[in-house]
Amino acid sequence: MVIAESRLSLAPEEIHDDEPLNGDLLHLNSLGFVGMLVHLEDALDVELPDDLFVGRTFKTVDDLVDVVAEGTRGTEALR
Amino acid sequence: MNTVSPPASWRSVLPHLDEPLPPDQSPESPAGGSDGVAVNLPFALVRQSTQNREFWDIPAEVFDAYRAFRPTPLWRARRFEDAVGARVPIYVKYEGGNISGSHKLNTALAQAHYYAKAGVKELVTGTGAGQWGTALAAACAMFGLRCRVFMVGTSLQKKPYRGTLMRALGATVHASPSDLTDVAARVGGGVNSLALAIGEAVEYAGRTEGAAFCIGSGETYSILHQSVIGLEAIDQLAELEATVDSVVGCVGAGSNFGGIALPFFADAATTGTECPRLVAAESSTTPKLTRGVYAYDKTDATGVSPMEAMYTIGSSYPIPDSHSAGLRFHGAAKVISAMRHRDQVTAQAVGQVEALQAGQTFTRSEMVLPAPESGHALAVAARLAADGGSSRGVVACVSGHGYLDLSAYQQLLDGELTTEPPAEQALVTAMDRLQPVPGLAIAGSGHAF
Repeated sequence: MVIAESRLSLAPEEIHDDEPLNGDLLHLNSLGFVGMLVHLEDALDVELPDDLFVGRTFKTVDDLVDVVAEGTRGTEALR
Repeated sequence: MNTVSPPASWRSVLPHLDEPLPPDQSPESPAGGSDGVAVNLPFALVRQSTQNREFWDIPAEVFDAYRAFRPTPLWRARRFEDAVGARVPIYVKYEGGNISGSHKLNTALAQAHYYAKAGVKELVTGTGAGQWGTALAAACAMFGLRCRVFMVGTSLQKKPYRGTLMRALGATVHASPSDLTDVAARVGGGVNSLALAIGEAVEYAGRTEGAAFCIGSGETYSILHQSVIGLEAIDQLAELEATVDSVVGCVGAGSNFGGIALPFFADAATTGTECPRLVAAESSTTPKLTRGVYAYDKTDATGVSPMEAMYTIGSSYPIPDSHSAGLRFHGAAKVISAMRHRDQVTAQAVGQVEALQAGQTFTRSEMVLPAPESGHALAVAARLAADGGSSRGVVACVSGHGYLDLSAYQQLLDGELTTEPPAEQALVTAMDRLQPVPGLAIAGSGHAF
């Protein structure tokens, strides 16, 4: 999804965990980023809480993985 | 007397569009650069903008706030019909009866609720004529948030009591261009555009802890929130056993027009009935839907926000100071623009003299003082009802009251109000470098690009 959002043709393994989300390779803006998270919610069948996002800055692919994992834990705790 | 209740859900038009909206494009100057991607939008609003879900439950806190002023009245304006020589009935839906004085409180309350829930302490925004700033100030007061408003300086000068009301509601108000931001310093003096006011708000919020920028009326989620207007109108017309074949709203960015009109589109799509003609009434000073191009453009002057597919006269177009009403935005909301591109909505431009005259006629005939913006919708409703453009009836949204816009009416009464169509060359220059929206099928006659 990160690759598609950046309009690139790459294999997922070519993206490293410490790759900047908005750098030389990937080009994500904030609305595209959160739009992508909506798709991730659908794909993973989770609901990410609002307060995970407002006021936060996401720098690398790892940050994205962390926030989804954090949100997923929150959802599971609610179940 | 209407007995209709306010709706319990907002209704989205997105599931009824033939194809998805064109995706946003990366901004000209991405914010943060290697510092990453900053997120300051409640996730609920993102979902409402991107998911193809039709009905969205209105949160209990927002519904309770709505109950203070909804349902708003809808009536047949018989004396206005007589005054304008109407051949068919004109119904009006009045959104001015709340503390902010306009429809914008419908989405301001929803947005403030979601931002507060997401932990934001202060909302910062830009406003043109002041309705949005006033609505957000009221909504922030309701949900315990601080509020900071950058208002187009010439508008604030002409409408000082807008500033007073916002301050009375607890907001901090700055005339734009201000001396608080780099974006204002870069463009220098003499620029009075909503794009700059929004740009100042974006920049200020971006560097202030606990603050978030909150955009006005053009976003897809704000149009969703405004669907309460059209949903109520459909029920109220049914209760009156009235049928209309034209729905009219004024367009700044598009939330008022979207609010009154798009539920009719969704309703017709669901029931398999013919959709009334949906007519956007815009200012001839900012004629994006009638003279603009369908292109990617900035939503503000900073260049850090995503580029959106919109009908636009160019975000760099200098709007003349003589323009009295709101409707100052250079572009139309992306959902309205996409529907315009497919001829699912139409548009008519109205000069400010005709709009204020329609407003004055409405004041005398219906005993309601409409906002100058609403005067644009009333002028188009009068045209449609009088010239045969409508054969069964018209419903128009009176988006707000005009008590804080009396200076414009005074100009009209003094004969000082003029209508200045935009200079052709200035339009060409402002639109010249825009990138056309590719790949969206054109239905019907099509428009520029």
